[in-house]
Amino acid sequence: MIELVGRVGRWALEQLKAALQVSVLMVDTMVWLVIAPFKGMGFRWRNSVESFVEFGVRSLPIVAMISFLIGVIIALQASYTLAQWGANRYIADLVAVSAMRELAPLMTAILIAGRCGSAITAEIGTMKVNEEIDALEVMGVNPIKYLVAPKFLAMVTAVPSVTALAMLVMIMGGWASSVFVVGVDTEIYVTQTVGAIVEKDLLTGMVKSVFFGIAICWVGVYRGFQVEGGAEGVGRQTTASVVTSIFLIIIVDLIFTVLFYYV
Amino acid sequence: MSMDTVKPIIVVEDLQVAYGDRVVLDGINLTVQPGEVFVILGGSGSGKTTLLRTLVGLMSPRSGRILIDDKDFTSLSSHESMEVRRKMGMCFQGSALLGSLSVADNVALPLREHTKLEESTIDIMTRIKLELVGLGGFEDYLPSELSGGMKKRAGIARAMAMDPKIIFYDEPSAGLDPIVAAGLDELIRTMQSTFNLTSVVVTHEMESVRIIADRVCVLYKGRVVGIGSLDELEQMDHPYIQQFLARRPDELGIVDADYARSLTSID
Repeated sequence: MIELVGRVGRWALEQLKAALQVSVLMVDTMVWLVIAPFKGMGFRWRNSVESFVEFGVRSLPIVAMISFLIGVIIALQASYTLAQWGANRYIADLVAVSAMRELAPLMTAILIAGRCGSAITAEIGTMKVNEEIDALEVMGVNPIKYLVAPKFLAMVTAVPSVTALAMLVMIMGGWASSVFVVGVDTEIYVTQTVGAIVEKDLLTGMVKSVFFGIAICWVGVYRGFQVEGGAEGVGRQTTASVVTSIFLIIIVDLIFTVLFYYV
Repeated sequence: MSMDTVKPIIVVEDLQVAYGDRVVLDGINLTVQPGEVFVILGGSGSGKTTLLRTLVGLMSPRSGRILIDDKDFTSLSSHESMEVRRKMGMCFQGSALLGSLSVADNVALPLREHTKLEESTIDIMTRIKLELVGLGGFEDYLPSELSGGMKKRAGIARAMAMDPKIIFYDEPSAGLDPIVAAGLDELIRTMQSTFNLTSVVVTHEMESVRIIADRVCVLYKGRVVGIGSLDELEQMDHPYIQQFLARRPDELGIVDADYARSLTSID
């Protein structure tokens, strides 16, 4: 019994320590992102743009393809139920609302977590293993400033940008299967879509995706700095990074969905 | 040269360093004189790398003081410690060049981060440093395209970028063939004699110690067991020092009954 209590206590302490480390990381990042550039301590804009291209632009093809296919799938699945009521024109409403509020932000975030969150962990982890992080510190270059802040800015802008495109493509996917498979008129589909979407849908999706970006970046960075013990450690933390960030994405999603449900 | 009259550039007082509950270094007292090559010698697990990491500020001591150029490195604000860090350069065991940057960009990194020099000036300074370590013409190579010895040289060039007063080397000749290692030893000496640079070298290679060292500090199980020139060390009768200098293996001894039992788990 005492052993059990001890184990739970140690586990709790460890989680607390991790939470503390993440908080320190968050505060540091915000300082280097928001305060330092205005005090003339510099920000690596160029590096941030490069990261944006990596996280955002290079994610476009895969995100677009998957979004399109998901659009096709939801439309067909929706038709399965709606056709019984002769309400196939409402496929457009269902696709548009679910894409905007839920599926486009979620799919984009999960794909970027798998593509880029893991890459951040692997990069920082490898640098840690090779003593490159230590080298930066000895040179008086803050690793948070040098590595994390540019990536953070890139990530919180890239995820919403890609999400916006994913929304559009997903609706197009829905249109494609509605028109060519189910047989809905294009004109009706467009009218229904435009009528279905309200400002709040877009806002919900965008707010979510910003927080997804924050989660992906911080998990990636935190896991990267956690790496210990060579290549094997990099591999372990990279896997953990993807699992943790997908889990966090779902939690954040839940929180915001509940929040927007009441607001 | 009478070392005692010169004010030391590094003073370590009663240093204790620990990982959690495990004390790795205890009661370390030493001084390093400006312009000397000071070697920290010790076997694996003696705490020599930990001592080096503490000296450059990568680890915080549990207690004790480190004075670098009269400033207590252990109790400085981040701004002040940055000032102290500019006086120091470090060469890592694995060279620790940033893999994503070219050799020139690696050397230029501290200049770009800490100075407001024109890009053209930085370019020239980078070339000079690379020339200095014999890597002229390798500016655009990536670290992965260099051999082990060249990486270490590039690491030295980067450590020299800000014209430090002190340079720390972590196992400079580890993993290199004897010829390349000898070349590095020579480079360390050249740096010291050309720029009157203070060098602190962690190593376990006796051959290179004989070439580079002005003074040697022998670490054993986290404690200093002797400091002095090689000649002085040879006079000391500490068994570990003698064993190390003579490169004698640990005596295996007779396998006692307890040990045999632990291996075979026969009670």
